[in-house]
Amino acid sequence: MTSKKQLRRSFILLILALGLALTLSACQRASQQIDTGASSGIAMTLAVNPDPATVGQAQVTVTINDASGQPVSGAAVAIKGDMSHAGMMPVLADATEDGAGVYRTDLEWTMAGDWIVTVTATLADGQTVEQQFDLSVAQ
Amino acid sequence: MTGSTTPIYRPKPAFDLLRVPGLGRLLRWRWGRLVFQLPLAVVAAVMIYDGLTGPKLAPQNLATVAAWVHYRGLVVLALLLAGNLFCMSCPFTLPRTLARRLSGHGRRWPMALRNKWLAIALFVGLLFLYEALDLWASPWLTAWLIVAYFAAAFVFEALFAESPFCKYLCPIGTFNFVGSTISPLQITSRDTQVCRTCVGKECVNGSAQVLGCGTELFVPQMRSNMDCVLCLDCVRACPHDNVALAARKPLAELTIAAWPRRWDVALLALVFAFTALGNAFGMVPPVYALESALARWLGTTNETLILALIFGVIYVALPVLAGVGAAWLSQRLAGAGSLRVVLARYAPAVVPLGFAVWFAHYWFHFASGALTIIPVLQSFLIDHGVTLLGAKPNWRLGAILPADALFLLEMGSVLIGFIASLAVLRRIADNTHEDGRMATRAMAPWLALLALIAVLAVALFTLPMEMRGMMAG
Repeated sequence: MTSKKQLRRSFILLILALGLALTLSACQRASQQIDTGASSGIAMTLAVNPDPATVGQAQVTVTINDASGQPVSGAAVAIKGDMSHAGMMPVLADATEDGAGVYRTDLEWTMAGDWIVTVTATLADGQTVEQQFDLSVAQ
Repeated sequence: MTGSTTPIYRPKPAFDLLRVPGLGRLLRWRWGRLVFQLPLAVVAAVMIYDGLTGPKLAPQNLATVAAWVHYRGLVVLALLLAGNLFCMSCPFTLPRTLARRLSGHGRRWPMALRNKWLAIALFVGLLFLYEALDLWASPWLTAWLIVAYFAAAFVFEALFAESPFCKYLCPIGTFNFVGSTISPLQITSRDTQVCRTCVGKECVNGSAQVLGCGTELFVPQMRSNMDCVLCLDCVRACPHDNVALAARKPLAELTIAAWPRRWDVALLALVFAFTALGNAFGMVPPVYALESALARWLGTTNETLILALIFGVIYVALPVLAGVGAAWLSQRLAGAGSLRVVLARYAPAVVPLGFAVWFAHYWFHFASGALTIIPVLQSFLIDHGVTLLGAKPNWRLGAILPADALFLLEMGSVLIGFIASLAVLRRIADNTHEDGRMATRAMAPWLALLALIAVLAVALFTLPMEMRGMMAG
């Protein structure tokens, strides 16, 4: 009887621990809640040259428009390319404005595979908008 | 009367880690294991927390970076230089101990499952999930995998009297058990005469104060690191202070028929070698071409099915066919026992090469991304208002070796593994056959198998790597 009681106690403990993990998995840290521009209507597009992307030097163009479709000038645009695998150093670049709402930079895709390109735009009014784009880079 | 003053005879001890000043005392201490487990338990808790709540990108999350880059790189290094240090420090066994205390004495692990078949299935299953779910790209799934490990260790310890999770189930333990057979350190008795006259056999039975061996190994009979989690409970339990963690001859275990002559143990060695190839194959361009070709041929877009076919062949069918085929040929050419006996005799020879392929692969990732843990940790701390390591993550940190050195490391590793496997093979054949010609004939099929594995490994490491999610293939 004691053994059964002890066993039941063990499993209650286990269920509590799993419940804690489950609760945690539904949470997201404040720092991970990013403004993707949906609320302000800011839209970003990403283009790469060459397209499709291949390993080596490339030019990346980011276009930013506001809710009315007008180009957004004067933003500071940072680009960070991460591979899908852990342990890979990201590719970092700051894009400069090359025409109204058009920002360009050169960078190097260092390995073939799946990349996640994060574009962070700090607008002239101080608002920060961040969007992620999936990109497949061939050998 | 003279017996009380004459010291007990002990053979000249080889290097014994437990006699190293300071470290030896720490390892022998009652709470010695806990000293190593607690830091890893904290690391595991942080990994779970960051995996569940932190960045969704694998290169930015502690769960994925620590699990798939650092753990794997460091565990193979530890196995190569010392022994099964991860199992010694395993945090998953902490709640297991709690479960044992809470549940009292459980049942014995079923006799039918006292072998390596389930361990092989779970090891292969985890490697398949790694590919099918892109575990390496998902902090969330990696965190849940760690939770699952804790839960499984807890449940099995609560239900059963022994430690079946470590010995018969844990995929990490299974990898470490096979890997540790090449390790330079092994638990052994300092003086077998002391064991012969020992009444209590506390090393395996335990005592009122200290547990005995959780995986039920008996120190004076140990000839292998297989199934040893290096918990050192045997050391603490021995009332005669007669247990050593001693240095041994390189590769000796693999040449002296130290393993039971069973199908499951022999096939585990072969699965270990072929999964090393398969795990590396999952990251090079031909796997995507093969996937596409199979999808067209079978007329399906069911990726799980396609991956199950590819990795089912590499992880299960090939090791069975290659191992049994080599054993059959060896038996036909030179005799010396049944198919099972011949397979079990020569299977250990593939372990050094298999380990070398794992080492090359894991160290490619570790050496090319070891320093990425720094910005990831900085980012984690900054997220929580701690700027101890800097106010901004330094994302420009990455490799600890240049790309050219990585290639040399991979090739060198495979070459050394191949030579070590050849040496083991030669020794096994010479130990079995007095006639040199018969020995050569017996080892010929195994030599061909080793050459095949080595050539495939070199071909894989020569190919450009692609960090691609299978789903995007």
